[in-house]
Amino acid sequence: MLAFIVRRLLSGVVLIAVISFLAFTLLYAAGGDIARRILGENATAETVAKKTAELGLNRPLLVQYGDWLTSAVTGNLGRSWFNGELVSVSVSGRLSVTLSIVIGATLVSAILSVLLGVLAARRGGAIDAGVQFLSLVGFAVPGFLIALLLVLVFAVNLGWFKATGYTPLTTSLSGWLASVILPIVALSIGAIATVAQQVRGSVIDATSRDYVRTLRARGLSENSVIYRHVLRNAGGPALAVLAVQFVGLLGGAVIVEQIFAIPGMGQLSVRATTQGDIPVVMGLVIAFAIIVVVVNLLIDLAQAALNPKVRLS
Amino acid sequence: MFRWKATAALAVAAALVLTGCSGGGSGENGSGSSDRLTLTAIIGPTSYDIGAGAEYGNRSPFFQAVFDTLLQKDSTGEIQPWLATAWEYNDDRTVLTLTLRDGVTFTDGTPLDASAVVASLEHFRDGTAPQAATFAGKEFAAPDATTVTITQAAPDPSLVNLLSIAPGLIQAPSSFGNADVSTNPVGSGPYVLDTASSVTGTTYNYTANPDYWNKDAVKYQNLTINVLEDPTATLNAIRAGEANGAKIADNNTISEVEGAGWTIESNELDFQGLLLLDRAGTMAPELGNVKVRQAINMAFDREALLQTLQTGYGTVTEQVFPATSVGYDEKLDSTYPYDPAAAKELLAEAGYPNGFTLNMMSTPAFQQTFDLVAQQLSDIGITVNYTDPGTGNFITDMLAPKYPATWMALEQNPDWQLINFMIAPGATFNPFKYEDPKVDAYISTIQNGSQDEADTATKELNTYIVDQAWFAPFFRVQGTFATDANTNLDFWPTNAYPSIFDFSPKN
Repeated sequence: MLAFIVRRLLSGVVLIAVISFLAFTLLYAAGGDIARRILGENATAETVAKKTAELGLNRPLLVQYGDWLTSAVTGNLGRSWFNGELVSVSVSGRLSVTLSIVIGATLVSAILSVLLGVLAARRGGAIDAGVQFLSLVGFAVPGFLIALLLVLVFAVNLGWFKATGYTPLTTSLSGWLASVILPIVALSIGAIATVAQQVRGSVIDATSRDYVRTLRARGLSENSVIYRHVLRNAGGPALAVLAVQFVGLLGGAVIVEQIFAIPGMGQLSVRATTQGDIPVVMGLVIAFAIIVVVVNLLIDLAQAALNPKVRLS
Repeated sequence: MFRWKATAALAVAAALVLTGCSGGGSGENGSGSSDRLTLTAIIGPTSYDIGAGAEYGNRSPFFQAVFDTLLQKDSTGEIQPWLATAWEYNDDRTVLTLTLRDGVTFTDGTPLDASAVVASLEHFRDGTAPQAATFAGKEFAAPDATTVTITQAAPDPSLVNLLSIAPGLIQAPSSFGNADVSTNPVGSGPYVLDTASSVTGTTYNYTANPDYWNKDAVKYQNLTINVLEDPTATLNAIRAGEANGAKIADNNTISEVEGAGWTIESNELDFQGLLLLDRAGTMAPELGNVKVRQAINMAFDREALLQTLQTGYGTVTEQVFPATSVGYDEKLDSTYPYDPAAAKELLAEAGYPNGFTLNMMSTPAFQQTFDLVAQQLSDIGITVNYTDPGTGNFITDMLAPKYPATWMALEQNPDWQLINFMIAPGATFNPFKYEDPKVDAYISTIQNGSQDEADTATKELNTYIVDQAWFAPFFRVQGTFATDANTNLDFWPTNAYPSIFDFSPKN
């Protein structure tokens, strides 16, 4: 088990190194004249040249990457070229915002999709058809459209929640809830649609197995059969789908944070990439890569815990 | 079944709690109270170290909140005393002497005296802020604690104006070496940035400076500026009452903003149109002929372009000097009426009866503009060959120069700045360094002559530039700012964002 974790972590480190190099070179290829971008149209050619030299952008690409890598390894990710903030501060400050939305959306979608999936599988008929239809709608309607609709109805017209901005949990619990509920709902709907289908399929598949018939024959209550035994078996594939959803939700957060003007990693990603703020983009790439590696590792461990037949060696 | 009921009850209870909570939450926004002014901006400040990032335009409120300028523009655009109570030129206008207000301190307690001002001005001049070059060659000195002199080799008609915008911002020299100087400003301004509750790039919270020298000018105890890059988010903030004032980046949303009960204030600072840069014809020989440049001017149906591209919010123009300039002449705006047939005749007279091909740049963000430009030019026989240099290279390639002509949106500065921005031989937006003895003579009079001579020369220069068709402007775009029902505003005619001193509560 320990060897498995160590091996996975090591391959994660290699993966992150490769990603960082690819991201760095691609950003440069697409970057254009960064000093001019920072300074705008008012700056003279001399000022632009001075800024280019100040940022070290006149050095060979590999030298620049080498410098970035050596300081990144020591924990120094540099400062934003566009607002001077430490990249470590930018990214860590926004990480908690995005994670609170994405984890919230994952929890909501995990709970609701299991409930809906089991309901559809057990009841069948009209309820199943209804759940299937809702899943289809949730899957088909893009998240940003749902987000725009939610803002209009619940923030602008009813005034229940905030239309823009984010209140940290440490400042006010009610303010925090008012700022995260709509984004969580907007993000969850698509995920619920996908995972509920997965759970429904797995439960139907599992209930036709021999061991379920045996359990029923032994007189176990239906709830016990479903929640103790069937879900345990059906949980593995659902967890895998949920892991993919989690990573997908990080992507969805990019758009949702933009609509709600929430200072999370998504909003920062959009701004930093469109500006060409390479230190910030690199910080975000590393953070996202670490999250994906860790989430995948956790899911593997969770699957092993759920089902001892899944070996981790 | 019990579980289902319990779950449902829990959900209802949670919903009630949340609704109650969020009611309290929206009350905390405090918009509408004179205690706090909440504004939205479309772009955040770059470095708060003025040597690296001092900027006005859309970034002005962030800098105005924490720094003072030496001079100040009032809501009519007139220059007024501020940190400097008086200013005077010597006879040949090479030395400007400023008298400083006594007893002003920076928010870290260090005194704002002449030596601090000199250090700050030098810090700006030697740095990499966008306007750093406006101070190139200027020397600053502090003969005594309240006197500062600025010495220059030749008169600079824009100097006094510069001291009221970014170059005139005064930063505490004690902060130059701070590790967090770019995000934690130290000035003498009306507010202090609350770094703990601010999110760099997104939300900036300021509290009133308790020791400010001009407390009467500060109308709100707290100031919040939220950066909303997405026009939809701005509109949502307005509709939800989450701000008192908002910069409207998309004029197509004006009717919805007014529908929410907000008041629209506007000015016109930028023009959009073609820069016919290669006036000597070194890259595109056709543009060397003034008749060709005039024909291009006659190819555009400016009213239709304004309606299509800006929903009519703006004013058609054929000159690059703004309506606030002494050089502006309304009559010049009807020099080149839309007339494709006459334009074709002019092209034929110039020796291009079959037209020619013109290389220009395009960029996806303004695709509709580029399509219309190409279509109107093709109507007179000019085929446009577009290249997309990539967003990050648009200005760089324009100034390299890699194209003989280009579409662009450019800022209309005060006269001397405008001349040095797009007309003078060394101007940034005269990348071919095109020179004309007549233009040079006008520029020399504007720089060295008396005020009357300079004003006359500015008018003549503008007339000449229009006559020679150096540019083909289409229209000036309306700059829009909106305020809620509780807020008064006098909008500066000369900056993209209002002065924070020009907001006041209505009640």
